[in-house]
Amino acid sequence: MAYPTTSAVDADLAVRMFEVMALMRAVEDRMVAMYRQGELLGSLYTGHWHEAIAVGTASALRPTDVVAPLHRDLGVHLWRGLEPWEVMASFMGKATSPTGGRDGTLHYGRLDLNIINPVSHIPNNYPIATGAAFAMRYRGTDGVAMAYCGDGATSRGDFHEALNLAAVMCLPCVFVVENNQFAYSTPLTHTTAAVDFATKAVAYGMPGVRVDGIDVFAVHEAAAAAVARARAGDGPSLIEAVTLRMHGHAEHDPADYVPRELIDQWAKRDPVQEAAARLVELGILDDDGVVAVFKRAHDTALEHRNKVLGMPMPEPDSEEDRVYAG
Amino acid sequence: MPAETVTYLDAIGEALASEMEADPDVFLLGEDVGQFGGAFKVTRGFLERFGPRRVVDTPIAESGFTGLACGAALMGLRPVVEFQFADFISCAFDQIINNCSRQYYRTGNPIPVTFRAPFGARLRAGPTHSQSIEAYFGHIPGLKIVAPATPQDAAGLLISAIRDNNPVLYLESKYLYRRIEAPAPLSLDPVPIGSAAVVREGTAVSLLTYSVGVHQGLEAAEQLAAEGISVEVVDLRTLVPLDVATITASVNKTSRAVVLHEDARRLGYGAEIAATVQEECFWRLDGPVIRIAGKNTPIPTSPALEDAAVPQLPEIIDTLRRVATA
Repeated sequence: MAYPTTSAVDADLAVRMFEVMALMRAVEDRMVAMYRQGELLGSLYTGHWHEAIAVGTASALRPTDVVAPLHRDLGVHLWRGLEPWEVMASFMGKATSPTGGRDGTLHYGRLDLNIINPVSHIPNNYPIATGAAFAMRYRGTDGVAMAYCGDGATSRGDFHEALNLAAVMCLPCVFVVENNQFAYSTPLTHTTAAVDFATKAVAYGMPGVRVDGIDVFAVHEAAAAAVARARAGDGPSLIEAVTLRMHGHAEHDPADYVPRELIDQWAKRDPVQEAAARLVELGILDDDGVVAVFKRAHDTALEHRNKVLGMPMPEPDSEEDRVYAG
Repeated sequence: MPAETVTYLDAIGEALASEMEADPDVFLLGEDVGQFGGAFKVTRGFLERFGPRRVVDTPIAESGFTGLACGAALMGLRPVVEFQFADFISCAFDQIINNCSRQYYRTGNPIPVTFRAPFGARLRAGPTHSQSIEAYFGHIPGLKIVAPATPQDAAGLLISAIRDNNPVLYLESKYLYRRIEAPAPLSLDPVPIGSAAVVREGTAVSLLTYSVGVHQGLEAAEQLAAEGISVEVVDLRTLVPLDVATITASVNKTSRAVVLHEDARRLGYGAEIAATVQEECFWRLDGPVIRIAGKNTPIPTSPALEDAAVPQLPEIIDTLRRVATA
């Protein structure tokens, strides 16, 4: 497969991208430990090897743009300022979580950060993102909405309806398909007969590109182009970013159905390590600088875990509150 | 020369236009609503009056445009979604249930969207163009449901629905569209959601009903009055939240209750109302609460079959007489 070449980005932006990728990895590794220690309520969904996709796309947007991420996209939230403890609180059902414990696990996301909180029925965040795009255009702003889903979710009707609506209405949308090759246990061969997902964009009348989902700078470049196109009023685009889901669907899942050699092959390309290596290669960071970033990420994750443990659970007598808005 | 009367259909259009005039955040979307003026012509002239920015013709994509509306509502707009027939709302079930109805409970972010759904039978339209949908959605926390019977309530409840900060399912009777008229001009004052109306006072039995049932009930009451049987007719107007106070006041006065609706009997709205009445009024009842409802069948097309499937005046009169004189 042919990937676009990597562009150089601003050094400060590049460091920030690497820092958020490292933080995403550290927070998820910490939460895996929390899962094993029984500190979380249910299962844990992580985005190992999705860090470049989350951060490469999020970094191409303005804070006023709207994102509709899913469960592999912690980096999108962190980029926009969601705190790691808020994510942990969500997986613990704490009163302090973004939903106050009314929802949990991966259903975090704060509209005040222009993040649409996802539900489990993927990709029904895709039509929601078209609505956010519609509203921004309706109000006369040049905002862009970016929606995320995996290869598996492309099989559902909402994927089709959202892409078709966005194209017909020329909405400022960017659709990111994170092709991690498995929908829970279902491999690509059982998900689509098409050669790839980027090609599907053609049928909707929008551009589709396929990028290396391990290379954060390649993802960023593709996202920036799609965002610029949307912002200019030229309509939606689709980005297929290819990676491999390196953990199970969730942490309870040993993912024995993933061929060992596939894991070995992709293990050689850790997106966070590749970003670090690129920064060193470009002379933006030295080895000590890289180590310092990893250490800060590790310490932050641990500090947030220690902070969240003592946070309160919701009061049972609040259960019926907030069903209807006043 | 201004018309002397306003039809139920015109009332919906007048109320919608008046809210669009009053609030620039209100917009309309759906299939054929713009250039065609809507399948039933509720929005005839709207495209010319408000322009394509606010009168949005969509592809046939109920799930997609419902999600679009919910996303736009999350951003603070007030969409009015027209389902061409209430039957097609099943295509948008996932968006309404999972993204829309529980959004406020989950996230604290309101979704002020109105779903207009022309519903009900008696037009020889068959099993997939004649359905009543209130029982499906009445079970869902976070939605409000209104079902006006008169032009005045059709206008006032639509205005309230659009101004409400919650998703409101607005059930408009396509059978009543051009059959019921009110004197012009119509009041464009909001009718509060959650408020039933005693539309005919009586002493012997309370008929609790809504939509088409109100008109059947009033006719039955008129005929029974000639026999000396005094029927009180309560127009529920809102199904969620139910006006329990008005219902119980009526039943406590008459000591007898009959529930009437066109939707299928099994787990229909009448079951909820009957259960509420027995919980609240058990010691005042002189007999069981009786349901008059549609058969537990799809709505058939052929006139003789359809007439057999939904409540008709003789059955309503007989039942009220039997209950009132038992």
